[in-house]
Amino acid sequence: MQETVANPWFRASFREWIFTTDHKKIAILYGMTSLLFFSVAGLMGMAIRLELNQPGVQYLDPDLYNYLLTGHGAVMLLWWAIAFWGAFSNFLIPIMIGARDVAFPRLNQLSYWFFFSASILVLITLIPSQQIKMMWTGYPPFVLHDTAGPTGLYVLIVILIAGSTLGTGVNFITTVLRFRAKGITLGKTNLIIHGLISSIVVQLVGVPAFVGAVVMLFLDKYIGTGFFDANTGGDPVLYQHLFWFYSHPAVYVMILPAFGVFSEVLSTMSKRPIFGRTSMIYAIWAIALLGFLVWAHHMFTSGMPQWLRIFMSFTTVLIAVPTGIKVFNWVGTLYGGAIRLNTAMLFTLGGIFMFLIGGLTGIPLALPAFDINVHDSAFIVGHFHYVLGMAMTLGAFSGVYFWYPKITGRMYPERWGKISFWLILVGANLLYFAMMMVGIEGMPRRYVDYPEIDYWVTLNQISSVGAVFLAVGVGVTFYAWFKGLSGPEAGRNPWGSPSLEWTVSSPPPPQNFDSFPVEVADDWSPYKYH
Amino acid sequence: MEEALVHSEHETSVWPMAVGASILLSALSLLSFFHWQMPILGIVLGGAMLAILAIGLAGWAREAFQHAPEETEVGTIAVAAFVVSETIIFGTVFVAFWVGRIDNFDVWDTFVPAGLEASFAVWLTFILWASSIMIVLSERAFTRGDRKNAMIYLGATLGLGLLFVVLHMNEWIHLVGEGFTVDANVYATSFYSLTGVHTSHVIVGIAINLVLFWVVASGLMTRERTTFFKGAGLYWHFVDIMWLLVAANAYLIGGAF
Repeated sequence: MQETVANPWFRASFREWIFTTDHKKIAILYGMTSLLFFSVAGLMGMAIRLELNQPGVQYLDPDLYNYLLTGHGAVMLLWWAIAFWGAFSNFLIPIMIGARDVAFPRLNQLSYWFFFSASILVLITLIPSQQIKMMWTGYPPFVLHDTAGPTGLYVLIVILIAGSTLGTGVNFITTVLRFRAKGITLGKTNLIIHGLISSIVVQLVGVPAFVGAVVMLFLDKYIGTGFFDANTGGDPVLYQHLFWFYSHPAVYVMILPAFGVFSEVLSTMSKRPIFGRTSMIYAIWAIALLGFLVWAHHMFTSGMPQWLRIFMSFTTVLIAVPTGIKVFNWVGTLYGGAIRLNTAMLFTLGGIFMFLIGGLTGIPLALPAFDINVHDSAFIVGHFHYVLGMAMTLGAFSGVYFWYPKITGRMYPERWGKISFWLILVGANLLYFAMMMVGIEGMPRRYVDYPEIDYWVTLNQISSVGAVFLAVGVGVTFYAWFKGLSGPEAGRNPWGSPSLEWTVSSPPPPQNFDSFPVEVADDWSPYKYH
Repeated sequence: MEEALVHSEHETSVWPMAVGASILLSALSLLSFFHWQMPILGIVLGGAMLAILAIGLAGWAREAFQHAPEETEVGTIAVAAFVVSETIIFGTVFVAFWVGRIDNFDVWDTFVPAGLEASFAVWLTFILWASSIMIVLSERAFTRGDRKNAMIYLGATLGLGLLFVVLHMNEWIHLVGEGFTVDANVYATSFYSLTGVHTSHVIVGIAINLVLFWVVASGLMTRERTTFFKGAGLYWHFVDIMWLLVAANAYLIGGAF
């Protein structure tokens, strides 16, 4: 509406907030909800580290420990690593393609309410009698047992989150296909658009499999069907196949947008067009496609035909090719560039570094001969915290720092950002590297207790110290973002980027652009620096 | 490349939140009924959910037709994307069916109830085909400007859809009476899941067609903006095509072979 044009998002009224169909406000809603749950899940992780600081059961009763593990996993994955990119999609995609808003603004609001409803269900699990303790994977037969907590709550949380992602998926795919300004072809759009949209396509195809699996859990538990009940001819391993058919591609849902951020930040902060642009686009989509052919590598110990193991092992190793292309292209982009090492750039470089460690430990894990020995050990936990935990989080933080001037119109305090980065990088490496080492020595994951072996205790304590650094680092970032709100005016284009979102004022006006249709020059590119 | 689409929208809308509230209520209703074992509360919440959902959808449709200034014709892309994910949902049930069928190959004969007749599925198929033809005729009539015939054909679509649901439920009751209950064996589980997930889609399709009937009858939909009609038709054809796969698996591969 015209009367809101003068108001940037942070001066909107409460009514405008809750009934908004503006993609930028919805982005902020996603972002704030996501950060809140990220903080809670982070504290859950700290409690787990506290308990594992020494052998024996000191602080947490085992049931509560199981709840914290389940909550930490489910919330970090669904509310942080996936949902936080929803904030990026909402804020960036319409502006970057020169559109007024998404294709279906009301559906966009509804998607947020799905997410909000799921959030309320998660808050219900804080009530002691409603704690879900089946781990975020929800494997039968344990999930059907009463000691696992309320199965129905777990199932409905997944379904509501799925509703949110499907609404978002339908909406943004349509937006990117039909609302691009003239001259912005799919080959010319920003790489982060490919990162976000490929992850959205993966969700659109994958999430329904997860929904189907949990609906079967619900029916098995409450109606008495026998999908996973071997007594009536059902098959418990079927659940694992359906679950991982989505939940493996889900890791690309989390990391592909981070790859997009890395590309944007690297290119802008080194003033060089992204190296091997076309191969970057193909690599993103190759990862998205291959992601659907590797799910059984999570189940090498679950019992499956030998040929399937070999096939999935092969395809898993194959994923190293497109990811390798990306890493080399990033390095190629840096070569000869005028590199500006600010906070956003540091977080991106750190994210690539963490991804490299996570990725390189992933290759041996693709081989059944190695994997079955470390299956369900702390090595796996360390590995996926490098990739999902840190590469994704550093990418997300980098993105927020990078677009902070655009979102708020202010500049964040560079010094606090850098302090936060080093705290996080050092802390995370202590935490997860020690975890991988103790895992290779045989420490299993998910147990509240472990035997009193000297070097296990030492490694666990190193992990706990790292966790403290990491938590403080994240806190400093939150402080920097808060302090930045009263920082100096950032202006339209502080980084000197030709990408479309930097051509509008900061924060963007409700209509995004002054006039429509948006026009770009024939030789326009988001990475064309002068 | 086609001219890019741009639209101006209202900055606020109250209807998505109403639909969102009904979504939360539906989850709480299911939890109350099944998990917290408070069936009365579950039914009350479910009723409230349906009322709020109906109000929310009606307000939404009204706003979309009255206030959105121009037709963007992107609805069919969205429905196509949605159908892709629906196909995967069906796919999970097919996978469950086939895993059970193969795992229990030797004893499958003992799972099949005597009262299951594949010929019944053929009749149901004809009913759905007829309804698909009706919705095509209805859309053609509407784009010709013949609202009266469009409503008659759409009414026939609705009637045939309802007939399908009633006949199907009747058959379930009949089969359950024979002892073919959901927990009897994995064939029963996957039979009722395949046909159940399909029938639930028929019911959703009927609900969508009801909204469509309302916007056509009330004159909210004009000849220039038929995207909703196309989308609803696309969804209905999808449900129809899925029936062929469901019937072929649940009745033929499950029951006859």
